[in-house]
Amino acid sequence: MVIRALLKRNTYYDSITLMLVAQAVKDLPGVDDIGALMATEANLELLRNANLTPTTFLDELQTPPVSDDLMIVVRASNDVYAEAALAAAEEKLASRGNRSSTSFSEEMPVRSLEIASKRDEKANLVVISVAGEHAWLEAEQALRYGMHVFLFSDNVPVEQEKRLKNLAVKKGLLLMGPDCGTAIINGIGLGFSNVVPRGSIGIVGASGTGMQQIISLIATAGMGISQAIGTGGRDLSETIGGIMMRHGLELLATDEQTKVIVLVSKPPAESVAREILAAAQITKPVIIVFLGADQKSFASRTGSVHMAKTLTEGAELAVTLAGGDQSRISGKHSLNKYDLSKEQAQLKPSQLYIRAIYSGGTLCDEAMILLSEQIGPIASNIPLQPEWTLAKGETFRGHTALDLGSDEFTRGRPHPMIDPTISLQYLAKAAEDPETAVIMLDIVLGFCAQQNPASVYSPAIIQAKEKAKVAGRTLPIIVSLCGTEGDPQRLSMQRTALEAAGAMVFESNEMAARAAALLVSGTINRA
Amino acid sequence: MTVSPIVVDYSRPIKGLFLQRPRIGTIHSVFKKAINIAFEETMLALLSDELPRLPNSVRLYSVVISKLLPNLEPGMEVCVGNDTFILSPCNFSFYLCGTPAWEPRPDVTAYDWDRETVALHTRLLAQSLANKQSQVGLVPLVEPLLLQKPIQATPLSELAMPKLQMLIQAAWHKNNAGIEEATRGLAGLGPGLTPSGDDVLGGFAAVISLLSSVLSRDSIPRSDVASIISTVAKPRTTKLSGVLLEHASRGEIAEQFGSLLLTLVLPAADFQTVREAADRALTFGASSGGDTLLGILLALRALEGEIY
Repeated sequence: MVIRALLKRNTYYDSITLMLVAQAVKDLPGVDDIGALMATEANLELLRNANLTPTTFLDELQTPPVSDDLMIVVRASNDVYAEAALAAAEEKLASRGNRSSTSFSEEMPVRSLEIASKRDEKANLVVISVAGEHAWLEAEQALRYGMHVFLFSDNVPVEQEKRLKNLAVKKGLLLMGPDCGTAIINGIGLGFSNVVPRGSIGIVGASGTGMQQIISLIATAGMGISQAIGTGGRDLSETIGGIMMRHGLELLATDEQTKVIVLVSKPPAESVAREILAAAQITKPVIIVFLGADQKSFASRTGSVHMAKTLTEGAELAVTLAGGDQSRISGKHSLNKYDLSKEQAQLKPSQLYIRAIYSGGTLCDEAMILLSEQIGPIASNIPLQPEWTLAKGETFRGHTALDLGSDEFTRGRPHPMIDPTISLQYLAKAAEDPETAVIMLDIVLGFCAQQNPASVYSPAIIQAKEKAKVAGRTLPIIVSLCGTEGDPQRLSMQRTALEAAGAMVFESNEMAARAAALLVSGTINRA
Repeated sequence: MTVSPIVVDYSRPIKGLFLQRPRIGTIHSVFKKAINIAFEETMLALLSDELPRLPNSVRLYSVVISKLLPNLEPGMEVCVGNDTFILSPCNFSFYLCGTPAWEPRPDVTAYDWDRETVALHTRLLAQSLANKQSQVGLVPLVEPLLLQKPIQATPLSELAMPKLQMLIQAAWHKNNAGIEEATRGLAGLGPGLTPSGDDVLGGFAAVISLLSSVLSRDSIPRSDVASIISTVAKPRTTKLSGVLLEHASRGEIAEQFGSLLLTLVLPAADFQTVREAADRALTFGASSGGDTLLGILLALRALEGEIY
């Protein structure tokens, strides 16, 4: 390694300019490190600590550097690279020149909403994903600037959520969240979202993967989405009162492009459900999916609203009401794709239970609801009933469904939709268990999700099946694949690769659950 | 009353420079909306009125600055005195007479200060600063210094961290030798025309100068701490930094920081206003805003008493 330097007497650049130049030069071939600093005593010590002291250069100077001189030091693998790097630094400084930079502030990276709003005055939506309990401060500031908010952050106190949502409604703005994972606004996907054409179906949802499932199935039928507004999972609680779902409904009711509206949520508080149902009595068709809610309790209040029990049913209704062909959605007929009776016949007597490994909370909920209706209790970390809760340290107990996207599994690590490592670990554990009859997995495609999930799941599926075979078992693996052809991962490519690995792939989570239930229930009723 | 047609306002401390007999200075550095002019012992900043005021600034209408700048080069001579500014090569001049003066020392005595409330704002501001996505200079040290989080080791942070801890401790204990040692380590340290260490020292000195008598837990003023910082730092850093530190030691600070300090009297429920003022302060310079804010927070924390 060689260290070379240049000194520019009485030369002044701001820190961002120097940082950008240093970064650019550091990326040049042969360059190991660079320092671009005013030649103060402290900075000379800093260079020493970074092993960047240009000893020979300093010895040869007739006048030592002083604080108002700019010093650029490069450590490179040889003289040629070092000299080239210094020349590049000088050229970049000359081309940037402080005067050619726009101003003190315009050169800066965006560090606040205020700067961001000045940088692009047309921007009217803020995505907030900051750590910690102060995300609501950013959200409040954005609302006060007149911007819609997509609040990805969680851990926002519920009282702040209510206050912010009331403020948003007062200003005619959206406060999507907190803990909002999915939205599509004016064709732009936010958070975990899928690539779908624009169309006439509008969605307001308090569940991220629930919305993604409906959106993806609608896209399968060749239909499109006008807007998909997330509300955050607590919106329909007693405390929040469905403020944002009602506001979203109002906005879609007056949106010219929206012809059909879908509302989706886990079961809301009873009083909130009443209010939502009352608000939904509008001239446009409204479909409500309150997953797991007792349909009978709403029977007298539904009025003109179409109630759907599952996400797939909600998507089918929406497509039909929007004038599309619901048969293009891979619904009940998709159960015929695979020879489930053959799979069932090959199971050993010890293989009794479903092991469902989910990354999407709502998809896991929906599967548990459908499975429990057909095969009884489903143990889980997000149980439908308290007595079905998995004990601490317990991986599986009988029929089991795990939501690996919940807090206890994601603390300090990426969500399994981004990094499926933990899902693969549980897949291996389930495969080793001789009581496992069928493994269910969900794979969610779209923005923010793993770039090519089939490339990691397919080898794991092959390995799991081979291990079971060595142990004298067959192991059916069912994948609930949520996504669209337009997604970066491409639905058809993922499906082909997963099927090639031996998985049964369903684009409807409902059908994936029904197939699993059929495999363990002892009776195959072909749909 | 006569009003200069091109001057918007000027900072009160630079009035002396204009009242003296004419003196020659040179253009030190040129930015698109700002020009620094060096004199033997001080510096004058000519700013566009689009920028907030500095303790050493004269603000001119933006249209004037934009016409003037293409003709300026570092090293050009300027004459200031007898109330007049003359830039002969550009046939440009202005005078201050009748122009309103701006006071860069915020009037902290006009408010009631509550230590508990200020302490709460300090913690929330520290968290807010830590949450900023883009952190340069010494700002990343807000987490180990004020939020009990681990340090991310870099050559800069490893040099600065012990000195910043020493600065806080020494300010609380009125340990002048400690202040000198910490300042020697921080002055001129880090990137930028006003190196990061100087910006932190500036924020720190300004708070100590302005608020130590009302906010320190022992109610003892610590103005000497601020003047030691300025005296020790000046020969160790750039000329511009030295001048700004001298102002800071007298409690004279850039407009955004003065506004921020005055929001600290607001009740805890109004933290949003405090935070918005801090965000405006962060736009100061390229990286100077964050570093100065860090210095302010460290000083406020130091006045609360023992922390390590």
